[in-house]
Amino acid sequence: MKILTFAKHVPTSAVTPRIADGHDRIEEDGLAYEVNEADLYAIEEALHQRSAHGGSVTSVTVGPARAKAVLHVAFAMGVDEAVHVIDETARGTSASLTVAAAAAVARDLGPDLIFAGIQAEDDLLGQFGVALAEELGLPVVTAVTEIRIEPQARVAKVVRELGGGFKQELEVDLPCVLTIQFGIRQLRYTPIMAIVRARSRRIETMEIDAVRIPPERRRAESQLRVVTLAYPEDGGHCELIDGSPVQVASKLVGKLVTAGVV
Amino acid sequence: MAAGDVLIICEAGTGQTESANARLVATGVAYAKNTGGRLVCLLMGHSLGSVADELSRFANEVRVVESPHLANYDCLASLGIVRAQVEELRPELVLFGHTYIGMDLAPRLAARLGVAVASNCFDLTVNGGAVSFTRPMYRGRVTAKVVLESRPMIATLQYGGTELPAATATGTLTAIAFDPAGDRRIRPVKMIEPSRDGIDIAKADIVVAGGRGIGERNNYALVDQLAAALGGVAACSRPLVDMAWFDVDRQVGLSGNTVKPKLYVACGISGAIEHMHGMKESGIIVAINTDPDAPIFRVAHFGVVADLNEIMPALTSAVAAVKAGRPNTI
Repeated sequence: MKILTFAKHVPTSAVTPRIADGHDRIEEDGLAYEVNEADLYAIEEALHQRSAHGGSVTSVTVGPARAKAVLHVAFAMGVDEAVHVIDETARGTSASLTVAAAAAVARDLGPDLIFAGIQAEDDLLGQFGVALAEELGLPVVTAVTEIRIEPQARVAKVVRELGGGFKQELEVDLPCVLTIQFGIRQLRYTPIMAIVRARSRRIETMEIDAVRIPPERRRAESQLRVVTLAYPEDGGHCELIDGSPVQVASKLVGKLVTAGVV
Repeated sequence: MAAGDVLIICEAGTGQTESANARLVATGVAYAKNTGGRLVCLLMGHSLGSVADELSRFANEVRVVESPHLANYDCLASLGIVRAQVEELRPELVLFGHTYIGMDLAPRLAARLGVAVASNCFDLTVNGGAVSFTRPMYRGRVTAKVVLESRPMIATLQYGGTELPAATATGTLTAIAFDPAGDRRIRPVKMIEPSRDGIDIAKADIVVAGGRGIGERNNYALVDQLAAALGGVAACSRPLVDMAWFDVDRQVGLSGNTVKPKLYVACGISGAIEHMHGMKESGIIVAINTDPDAPIFRVAHFGVVADLNEIMPALTSAVAAVKAGRPNTI
């Protein structure tokens, strides 16, 4: 079983990114990045499938130089190989260019299974896996929470979410793309020293300009254009309550009593 | 392309999200009114009941594809139907709910048509001839205004809490014959219904929910204790289900339950879009979090920026005191 798993380098969850002066992008300077969380689940699942069926797991990222940190984490988690498509121009923010580059890598490697997290935390588009599959002409199942591979039959039996607690069981022919839902299995702890050691592992790198991308795909990147970024307006009604814990509790309960909910 | 026409993809039946339809209808009606175009609604499924009739009170036309085969969501068959309708109707705008089905179908359709999709949108605005969409980015910490430069424009819309506009239309109902997809590489096997043997958090008047900020499993007792003191139920956000602390029946959010209690207390929940989706309609929302920038504070009525371990025992005592009829004094 040859599994390709895509992962994205995204701003860390703990901070609100600063909006750059032009108001159409965020300021990258000084921003900390991490592996997109859903993609960690995709890697974990790929490793699980490798232990069950043998084969190899290759982790791929498309992004600027800093994005190699994603692959260090992937190596530390246990992947066999890593590919970095270096994109210093769009810096991984062009959905269509990223898909085109990812498809080029996938075509070269010819995997049985391709995994990606259900959604990237930065653009929140949730369309990478579907667009990749369509580009490759492969079937894709989204929001997958369970995977059982039948290698002989070249079939994956999967469960996907439908929302509201409903799920659906499906059968999909290999090769295919699966977008992985959070929590598909528990993430094992990755020791920081394993990540440090992984920095010496060999990453196959290629410039995005060297990847065979059809010219119309390069043009397509402007189809979804960010006009402005802003900090969300709040509902305007959040009253912050401060003081010592006892004071806060008393004030808050007073307000809830007044509101008639306690 | 028919300028100004809008196609909305509605849902009905088991495992589909009928509650998203109101948002699609309201947005579609407003859009068509603004552009002078037609509003067409597409409904696919089985046992659709009166939903098509109901939708015809708002749309110029409701196109219905009903087949036992569609009782269990079939992504390839549905994609084939939507694509054929889009190619026939040539709408300017195609709207899906930001449901699991919408999230699945919209990008498939966009890829097939070679156009872009704006998913997860809060809203769309028409200004002159220009249409722009607002949508969250960076975990909801930033809001983007985006435009789609390809046609048709495809978007998925967040839903919940939408009032239906006045029903003024008498749209035609058109039955469309079901044509199974030629591509059978993805085969639905069966629908798995949620187990509802535990507490039904969706019916509770008071919900106290814990999230990732709870830290260790033992700390969830703080949530249980506050819920007990308030006479409510204890629930959670997705990470606690992912860590296998709870089943999905305790989960608030898009994948789990939508709740609308009188009081919702979010403890250590930062407020991912998917979570807020499931609780933002609550009467009074209290948020407790160490991060003052956490998106949850944007929907909260009362916020406390503090460590749960310090604040929650005090809160539980204060609630217990009031319930016991003791004066609430500092």
